[in-house]
Amino acid sequence: METFSGYRRADGRIGVRNRVAVLPTSVAASAVADRIAADGGPRVTATPHQMGTEQPEPARRRTERVLAGIGRNPNVGGALVVELGTEAAGASAIADEIAAGDTPVETLSIRDAGGTRAAIDRGREAVDALLEEAARARLESADASELVFGVECGGSDATSGIAANPAVGNACDRLVEAGGTSCFSETPEFIGAEHVLAERCVDESVRERLLECVDRRESVADLMGVDLRGTQPTPGNQEGGLTTIEEKSLGAIAKGGTTPIRDVVDYADPLPVGGGLVVMDTPGYDVESVVGKVAGGAQVIAFTTGRGSTTGNPIAPVIKVTGNPQTSDRMATNMDVDASTVLDGESVEAVGERVYETLLSVADGTRTEAERRGMAEFAINELQPRELASLGDPT
Amino acid sequence: MTRERDADAETDSATGNAAATEPGAGTGFEVYDRDRDGVGVRNRVLVVPSVICSHTVADRIADAVPGAVSAPHDHGCGQLGDDSERTERTLVGVAANPNVAGALAVGLGCETVQSDRLAGSIADRGVPVEEIAIQREGGTDACREAGIGRATALRAQAETERERVGLEAATIGVVSSDCRPSSLESADPLVGRVVERIVDAGGRALVAGNERIHAHVGAVRERVATADARERFDGVTDRAYDSPAAVTATRKRAADATPERVRRLWGDRPVRDVLEYGERAAHETGVALVDAPSAFDEAATALAAAGAQVVIHVTADGIPTGHPIVPVLTVTGDRDTYAALRDDLDAFAGETTPGELLATLRGVLDGEPTRSERHGVTSFAITRVGPSI
Amino acid sequence: MKGVVLDDAAVLLADGDTVATAITDLEAGRTIETEDLPDDRTVLEVAEPIAFGHKLAVTAIDAGEPIAKYGEVIGSATERIEPGEWVHTHNCESNRGRGDLAEGSA
Repeated sequence: METFSGYRRADGRIGVRNRVAVLPTSVAASAVADRIAADGGPRVTATPHQMGTEQPEPARRRTERVLAGIGRNPNVGGALVVELGTEAAGASAIADEIAAGDTPVETLSIRDAGGTRAAIDRGREAVDALLEEAARARLESADASELVFGVECGGSDATSGIAANPAVGNACDRLVEAGGTSCFSETPEFIGAEHVLAERCVDESVRERLLECVDRRESVADLMGVDLRGTQPTPGNQEGGLTTIEEKSLGAIAKGGTTPIRDVVDYADPLPVGGGLVVMDTPGYDVESVVGKVAGGAQVIAFTTGRGSTTGNPIAPVIKVTGNPQTSDRMATNMDVDASTVLDGESVEAVGERVYETLLSVADGTRTEAERRGMAEFAINELQPRELASLGDPT
Repeated sequence: MTRERDADAETDSATGNAAATEPGAGTGFEVYDRDRDGVGVRNRVLVVPSVICSHTVADRIADAVPGAVSAPHDHGCGQLGDDSERTERTLVGVAANPNVAGALAVGLGCETVQSDRLAGSIADRGVPVEEIAIQREGGTDACREAGIGRATALRAQAETERERVGLEAATIGVVSSDCRPSSLESADPLVGRVVERIVDAGGRALVAGNERIHAHVGAVRERVATADARERFDGVTDRAYDSPAAVTATRKRAADATPERVRRLWGDRPVRDVLEYGERAAHETGVALVDAPSAFDEAATALAAAGAQVVIHVTADGIPTGHPIVPVLTVTGDRDTYAALRDDLDAFAGETTPGELLATLRGVLDGEPTRSERHGVTSFAITRVGPSI
Repeated sequence: MKGVVLDDAAVLLADGDTVATAITDLEAGRTIETEDLPDDRTVLEVAEPIAFGHKLAVTAIDAGEPIAKYGEVIGSATERIEPGEWVHTHNCESNRGRGDLAEGSA
């Protein structure tokens, strides 16, 4: 049996880390949240972001969903929600949702505290109390089937589709076989490969939702009146040999593996435990995409990168897998798994097994290179004015 | 960095600044003249990430070098058309702000906004610049080390002499971020009076907050002085992304207010120019409007890119943050907010005269730290209109 | 790895593909000798330098014809491409996400 030791939460789920998250509700509270977390040690992480104090309604709902989802991630043993005190997205609403998942949670209003200095002091006290509470979590043996594994690619090149993505896909297959959940996303990187994915959907309803998501993402280019090639593939992708979005997509979808697609969920929506392979509708912009999956409950992320992306996440460990031998060599201090051996003849299955073993080891507590270096990028995929306008009048 | 002062030494006056009550404060202020467009009131080395993926490394470099600041943002890749261009133009603009002594562009390597191109554009503006990229340096550790060296070198090259100038050398940014009643009724008119004095002395005022413009197109347009500026104004108003779903509360409040009210923020002086987001102000003197939303972080960045040395921020909510590149003087018209956040606010409009606010502003131009500078609380954001790809 | 390696130079990922991916930096004039080439060809001369990860045509592709990799279409040729030539953004364009071609776009 494939097991690891994790933190059993009150609702039965298992965390692979025991973090205290400091979650600002708006950009106005982000700097304070950052300062509160700065002195708390590696177990305390903040999620500073740039969402405004007065987002339009649909955008505000998304911000709240992401923050509540992050707070409910099983890797979080305690959460402090920080607000200025006048935001439309209030701390108490987000804290209530987090508390509904039985996670210890506190709120802090900068206005009520009497200013930034007092708020930072009070926040540090609250974090200390949450750390104590989190320390009481039981560390116990858990089964691989309890893992929700998010997979991502960023800074892709031609090796991503040939080596790293198929290897990570193989690890996804192994986890699904063991009864767990694997989640891949980045809908713009389905463009040109959606017919391959559509054939793998378990039923018509899942298929329809998947194709609808792809259509909507592709129409974003129409929304901006430009050619998607202006950003996809990116300059680094192109330098690495990727010519078109179709080519990038056909390589990108390999990271989800080969099992049937059981569901399609919206950005930051909860991911099922024991759910097989699930697609989340996210942008290809990797930091925002990873955040969506972590908000959905993913405890561990694998991130393939040919060129060498170095980003992490404040809540979930991020395993970096590269298929490019030069990147594996030159950026060894930022990479966790070398999949470039596929180009030398090692089988995808063998490299996939290494990725899977790394997944279980990281779940068991082994720190990733990004964790060691405190790389913890965070951004929320905000609904933007032109996107909102295209939704029409919600009322 | 600038002269730091212990918070305990502050006066408890409504303006929170000793300069306001000192008659001998003088009329001018001391600046760094770097032989390029505009004179600086701070002497900062800016570490600017070209993309979100390099922002942690940029932060670490800035943390390790005295006098260095970073400008972390969410953008630089996965953006289309207008958004990508705006991000790049804005990053160049903030690096060329006169408060910046030198800039270090930090890239990842594979992003849309390439750090070498960014550094080239910054150099074209006459700013001493260095550039590094994580993938080229061989990882984050190596990049951080190299970056600290480059930023330290930029710091050593910074101009240290200051010279005295008059208010005609001032470029003031203004944003009133919420259009709430206390802002419209009390703080905006106060700031408007200060704008008038700056303009009358030959200085410049840059005003963000396009919700006001979009809500009262005709009434604002009639204050635009030249045909050229009107053409630019029409360019801005023609592409408002108004739709019921996208309209913010600030935009609604601006529409509910009278045109006279929303205009009081820049006093009774004509509008000489209208600037794109991220564009540098080129007018000689007077008021220019900047096509930036009222949301503070996004507005302050546009004002910094336009060349403002200092930003005055009117906030009923009491948003306490500053900005990495420009000192932010935070003013509220809301009595409850002032009571709650006295330690974070530079002035309460209800108890401050235009002369007092001008004296505080002059002190800040002269190097006196604002409340947010003392607290070291900053935020940085760039506006966008389209979704991430 | 799926597909076949062509003379340690490139990988052909699926039957019917019209391009192969270089797995090392290829110099102009290098010959790739293998029975696995399409069109009953056994020798392919690399026409120009092709960097690691980039693609070369393994068969002639006419302007407007689809270009295939992974057994799928990845774009269309914008000009005639001869066997051994580099295939990239200069002669291959995407058929998708073309907001620039959408009706009424700016």
